Amino acid sequence: MSKVIKRVATFCFMAVLLIAMIPQTIKADETSDAKKAVYVQVPKDWEAPCVWAWDDDGNNAFEAWPGEEMDADTTNEGWYYIWVPAWANHVIVNANEGNVQTAEQVLEGEKDCWITVTGADNANVTYDKQTKGKTPEYVEKFAIHAKVDDSWKNPCLWAWSVPDGTNVFDKWPGMEMKQNDNGWYTAKVPVWVNSIIINANDGSVQTEDISIDAAEVWVTVDADGKAEFSYTDPDKQEVPNITVHVMAPSDWDSPCLWAWSAPDGTNAFGSWPGEALEEGENGWLVKEVPGWVNSLIVNGNEGSVQTSDISVDTGKDVWLAVKDAENFEVSYEEPRVDTTEDVQATEDATEAPEVTEKSDSSNAMPIILMIVVAAVVIVVIVVVIKKKKAKNK
Amino acid sequence: MRKKVRSKLMSMALVFTMAAGLLSGCGGNNVAEADKNTITIWHDKEDAVAEVLQKKLEELEPDVHVVLEKKSDLTESLKMIGSDPKAAPDMYFFAHDKIGVYAEMGILAPITDIIPKEELNVYMDNTLEAATYKGEIYQLPVYYETLLFMYNRRYMKDDEVPKTTEELYQYMQDNTAGGHYGFVEQHSTPYYAAGWINGFDGTILSDDGTPGLDSEETIAALKYHKKFVDLMPGETEYATVNTLFKEGMAHSTIAGPWLVPTVRANGMDVGVASMPVIDETGNPISPYMGVQGIHVLKNAAENKKSAVEKVLRALMDPEVEVDLAKASGCAPAMESCYEMDEVTSDEVVMAMRDTAEHVIPMPNVPEMDVMWTVVGNLLTDVNMSGKDVTESAKAAQQEALQLIESMR
Repeated sequence: MSKVIKRVATFCFMAVLLIAMIPQTIKADETSDAKKAVYVQVPKDWEAPCVWAWDDDGNNAFEAWPGEEMDADTTNEGWYYIWVPAWANHVIVNANEGNVQTAEQVLEGEKDCWITVTGADNANVTYDKQTKGKTPEYVEKFAIHAKVDDSWKNPCLWAWSVPDGTNVFDKWPGMEMKQNDNGWYTAKVPVWVNSIIINANDGSVQTEDISIDAAEVWVTVDADGKAEFSYTDPDKQEVPNITVHVMAPSDWDSPCLWAWSAPDGTNAFGSWPGEALEEGENGWLVKEVPGWVNSLIVNGNEGSVQTSDISVDTGKDVWLAVKDAENFEVSYEEPRVDTTEDVQATEDATEAPEVTEKSDSSNAMPIILMIVVAAVVIVVIVVVIKKKKAKNK
Repeated sequence: MRKKVRSKLMSMALVFTMAAGLLSGCGGNNVAEADKNTITIWHDKEDAVAEVLQKKLEELEPDVHVVLEKKSDLTESLKMIGSDPKAAPDMYFFAHDKIGVYAEMGILAPITDIIPKEELNVYMDNTLEAATYKGEIYQLPVYYETLLFMYNRRYMKDDEVPKTTEELYQYMQDNTAGGHYGFVEQHSTPYYAAGWINGFDGTILSDDGTPGLDSEETIAALKYHKKFVDLMPGETEYATVNTLFKEGMAHSTIAGPWLVPTVRANGMDVGVASMPVIDETGNPISPYMGVQGIHVLKNAAENKKSAVEKVLRALMDPEVEVDLAKASGCAPAMESCYEMDEVTSDEVVMAMRDTAEHVIPMPNVPEMDVMWTVVGNLLTDVNMSGKDVTESAKAAQQEALQLIESMR
């Protein structure tokens, strides 16, 4: 019997181990940083060749068609190269802004490859080296977006590194930036770049030197070449204001709202404790805040009592029913609240704050234990009584 | 007869249920019947640290059975039940700063009641200083933590790391734009602001428990620090600051060593450097040091002395401290560990060793309990509400004195 139990236990243990290993394997593949080089030789009329790459499960290596533009290999004329994730084993080579393309090419394993394209219907893949010298090292790149005045034609990017003065491009005015559907122009540069100039009209107009971090950046340039930049997409910041509705505890005098955006820490108001909530409808206090706000604190008594941080969705009006500093409920539609009591929980709250959940579960544990113990005791009583009955008989 | 039996049984059931309820309210920890060779240790540490301790303490089996129990509300629980031998643990593993509170409650035993004082000379002087309250050593130090200056090498090159606070300020002015920051820290959190105050020779609380919020030095520190605050985001609680640095939106920060594994996992080439020297005083930013170690409750010292001694001696093995350094970047409290390759090769641990030259042990007097809130409010007033520094500091000093008076 004990052998059987041991075998069952061993089997269960192995099964658990196997199940535990499966998601780890998938995760390891997905998070792998390994890269492989794809070299391509294209016909002379294929301009600015790009590669679109994906794997057997349909995971794409790049965000959108036509994929990532290749770099010319200066030591091997006519050849272009790109680094793609090692897991990407399907590629399409395309050019002329995606207007010409090869058929799907299936690649073997994680090896570097050389693709010779002589036409849209004719591409040959080999794993034997077709170029001279070493493959240029992989260098991570980041995108620079520019929005320029209408008088600026064909904007270009000039980029370099301070203080060593290494240039990315061979000669002024640098790389012509690609126009996107949203009106922005984009070019990518290596992460060692920390200085750029946007120029246009064959380099006859330009910004001053702009010092930037090696991170995706949006640069807005006016007709005089004055530039401003942001590391967040300015178009995405244009979110309409939202209204925060608050039901505060009755003993919180002059309730105020403090609002900010996490994780960047941008505050909606100048100083703590924020701005006073105003009288709204149906007993709610209200305050309008920018639509990018995603974190709130309700406070009272000149900031001496307050809730913990409350995370909310951006761009949505929100209703907060605050019972006390630790208990509040968040909803995105007006809940029914019994205003005759201090503050009641809302039935149709769409999100329960974590704090409330935690305190509920911790309070429940002793009760559950007591119920279990009581149940055991009752069973014991019943058994004892039955035994006594049996004896009496 | 049946009625009597049933009523007796019902009474027993009621008592049993009430007892079970009481026990569950006490975290299920019943030491009343525990034998003298079972030691319960409360702690609040991360898994990597707990695993090293557990592994070492398992070597004491079967002589001593150690139960390592994680308690998220350790400090408050000890305040409530620390004097109840039935509910309290035998020992606890925690930072040194609550020693004064528990010593005054009379629930702690000096370590020297069990380990002769001369055997503790192997520990760094400042760790023993931190463990000492009113002349008695109440903690066996194991490792210490302090804040570090960290930077993202993608943005800040090694030769750009500011050596002084004015260089830091210049760097912040040059690199704070477009939603990125040259430097961020939890500027309005007392534990972080303490480094600036200490660097000005100011103090939050002196060794004798006197607040120093309205001292000339503390006010000068708050005024000087404000210009740095103005170049940081307004909201700088723990999650915001760590995320800004982790996500590459801030070039540098002052943070605990626990942040290093997280940012490395995120692919960051993170550098660790000495704290910038404050130009006004010639002192580096001098953060608090927290010494983590094991404490013995008086009841266990009296009734389980032999088992407690075995646990303490196990944790005095230098290998434990080396294993903790490797597992979680903990800086050993034992001087000899800094001669071992496993420790000297760890950049973060060695940075803490360098920083330890200038750090100030967190005050361990009971009065510190009220200071965190008072100083937090003072920092909010000065940094976020724009109130006058001198007036705010004086008001905070009065509030601290009143709260301390009400403790006595």
